[in-house]
Amino acid sequence: MTAAAPRPGLLPAVLRSAPVLAFTSWKGAIAGSFLLLLILGALLAPWLTPYEYDVQNLPGAFQPPSLAHPMGTDEFGRDLLTRILYGARTSLSVSGVAIAISLFCGMVLGASAGYLGGRFDRAVMVVVDLTWAFPEILVALMLVAIIGPGTTGTLVAICVAYLAQFTRLTRAQVMSLKSETFVEAARGMGASGTAILFRHLLPNCLGPVLVAGMLATGDAIILEATLGFFGLGAQPPTPSWGGMMSSGSGLLFKGPWIILFPGLCIALTVVAINLFGDALLHKLDIRERVRSA
Amino acid sequence: MKTIRSLLLGTALAGGALLPAQAQDVTVVMSQNEVGATSYNPITAQLLSVGAWLIYDRLVAKDEKLQYVPQLAESWEEAPDGMSWTFKLKPGVTFHNGTPFTAQTVVDWLPLYKGTENEYLFDAIDHAEAVSDTEVRFVMKRPEPNLLYNLSTVYGSIPDPAVFAELGEDFGVVEAVGTGPFKLESFEIGNQTVLVRNDDYAWGPGAATGRPAKIETLTLREIAEASTAFLELKTGGVDMLMNVPTDFVGEVTGTDNLKLLELPGTDLIYMPINVTKPPFDDVKVREGVAFAINQQEIVDAVFDGRGKAADGFLISALPESQTAPEFRISYDPDRANAALEAAGWVKGADGIREKDGQRLSVTLWTQSDSIFRRLSEVVQAQLKAVGVEAEILTFDSAAIRDQYKTGEQQLAVRTYLWDNADILEWFFGGDRLYYPNISMLNDPKAEELKAAAMTGAKTAAEREANFIAYHQYINSLYPYAPIYEPVQLIGYNAERLSLPEPLQAARFNTLGFLELDVKE
Repeated sequence: MTAAAPRPGLLPAVLRSAPVLAFTSWKGAIAGSFLLLLILGALLAPWLTPYEYDVQNLPGAFQPPSLAHPMGTDEFGRDLLTRILYGARTSLSVSGVAIAISLFCGMVLGASAGYLGGRFDRAVMVVVDLTWAFPEILVALMLVAIIGPGTTGTLVAICVAYLAQFTRLTRAQVMSLKSETFVEAARGMGASGTAILFRHLLPNCLGPVLVAGMLATGDAIILEATLGFFGLGAQPPTPSWGGMMSSGSGLLFKGPWIILFPGLCIALTVVAINLFGDALLHKLDIRERVRSA
Repeated sequence: MKTIRSLLLGTALAGGALLPAQAQDVTVVMSQNEVGATSYNPITAQLLSVGAWLIYDRLVAKDEKLQYVPQLAESWEEAPDGMSWTFKLKPGVTFHNGTPFTAQTVVDWLPLYKGTENEYLFDAIDHAEAVSDTEVRFVMKRPEPNLLYNLSTVYGSIPDPAVFAELGEDFGVVEAVGTGPFKLESFEIGNQTVLVRNDDYAWGPGAATGRPAKIETLTLREIAEASTAFLELKTGGVDMLMNVPTDFVGEVTGTDNLKLLELPGTDLIYMPINVTKPPFDDVKVREGVAFAINQQEIVDAVFDGRGKAADGFLISALPESQTAPEFRISYDPDRANAALEAAGWVKGADGIREKDGQRLSVTLWTQSDSIFRRLSEVVQAQLKAVGVEAEILTFDSAAIRDQYKTGEQQLAVRTYLWDNADILEWFFGGDRLYYPNISMLNDPKAEELKAAAMTGAKTAAEREANFIAYHQYINSLYPYAPIYEPVQLIGYNAERLSLPEPLQAARFNTLGFLELDVKE
């Protein structure tokens, strides 16, 4: 048993410490702190702001940024900062959860396809390559059209849109690992296929796949915002950054801050996620493996 | 340096020399709701842009008081029993291709509507006969007090029947031949239409009669995004916007060279209520939500105080909108709450009403255009104030019509553009369920009143009275809540253009563009 597992415990340990290690580079530290602050802000929103995100005050609409409303008020007189904080909940949770599910399904599919090979592999890859052939936004729009607008629709859409990417990456990793000597050793010791897959192969491709997941979360936030911009994401009065930008786009002259702040938030968050993902890549030293896949 | 300066001067002079030729060219952005019209075929099209008003003429037109005035017809007369109409036509009218417009043209034109979506317009006419070259008689199947209205709509535009037959599907796309003040030069669907002046035009309405348009070329551009359109106006890329959203009013009035022309609107925004979907199968619940809508708050907060709070289904310029006060629907929170209580819905701990353990939670459909989403959010908040929880569902503007055909909607926010009382039949007629009757109203008494209003009247006064009765009865069933009656706001570059003010027409089309001039 011990001889059959020369490396499994190792990588998860690196993974556990990698997010902390990422903070040791200045890029990672700045990006990580921003993301932490944002998540905290989103979680503590009800205690951080005296305003409600959905109570309208029409006479107080279109107030420019001031002390009482640091980001101004929107076209319904609602505090924009409050809406941004609650909107972070929607944007982060929808894209985070969607990517997590997509990542899990992609890993299982990709690993099985890569390990089993043969007809199953070909069948999976035909479907994956088919979705891969369309831009994510197109796949997402089609799915939302079928499921209907709202958070669930957006979640499923993002999930499916990124599935191909994770499946391909995991499959490539498993294909290259399955001929490694430690896998052969495990097989020689009489380990079952399932055991080899879950105990030896998957933990070893976790690093690159997780980083790819991190980077995809940035894209998913943009995709969520895009669907929100088209009015297909979270439905009002639930705030979402994309939805806020969309209503602000027609009010560019009357209240430029209504589109400016959610836009800034999306941009900064995506930059932060990418920087942090980059720092992770660097610390895990797996850049080549993620890039080549 | 000197050479550069002389070069610049030369260019400026050459530009100046070109100016007189360009001076008569005007570029206009058409209304957002006309964007995407696929054809200038008045017989078969469902959506026609302002260009169709200019390429073609109609037998009659409407003035600013919605009274009928001559256009291609000089005068007309209805038989006392309503079974025939005689139109005296203006002499000397020709189509763009030189073919004369005569009584025979009208005789050939009417049958073209057979089998099209627009057939209903002239359904009451049995046939037309030419009495002389300039006199045509319509022999009716039944009296049609609405005939003049139908003749005056853009779908009553008269194309050259010969060219129409020759081109078939291509008519109105590759070529369009009418008698109007402008000829179709080019048409790129979704992008722009270029019209050139019809120099032979001498049969214009009112003060513009006897001469062609003042401008030479008119380019109609389609820009769906309001901010883009406004920026084009501000930077001089276009000279006029046919429709300025109220959010941009401050920007237009605050810019030195821009001016606004305000005209009465012909559209109405309302909230249909699906009478077949619980809880709205209970008339008391419908009454509750209808009186919960605060129209004036919407006018002030969403539309900058421009336009009117609606209290019925018809635009206020129509006499049929003048229902008795007890049939008007306008904000009354006490009445809303009382009606919902009477229906058995009681406010729960979180302010949302409940009945038999069920929350008063409904869906509110809207389309993705920003103004509709904004309106829906205000309506959502107003409904919440009386204890109704509304979940907004946004659909793509192009797809929402198909969604309505499922009949799944409960509440919606939508608009229509029409200036005749027969719109009541269109949206509430029992034979038009699903779409356009998205309220799904099918009431025997309403059907009787509808029949009387649509086809039972012999005179205009009788028709008016019948429609008021129909309108009042519909209101008493609360299959909708009125919201807002917009105004039409035209924004233009006052340094470049001079517009006729006041405009003696119901809308800015034939007369407006005949009078429009470029300042030297």
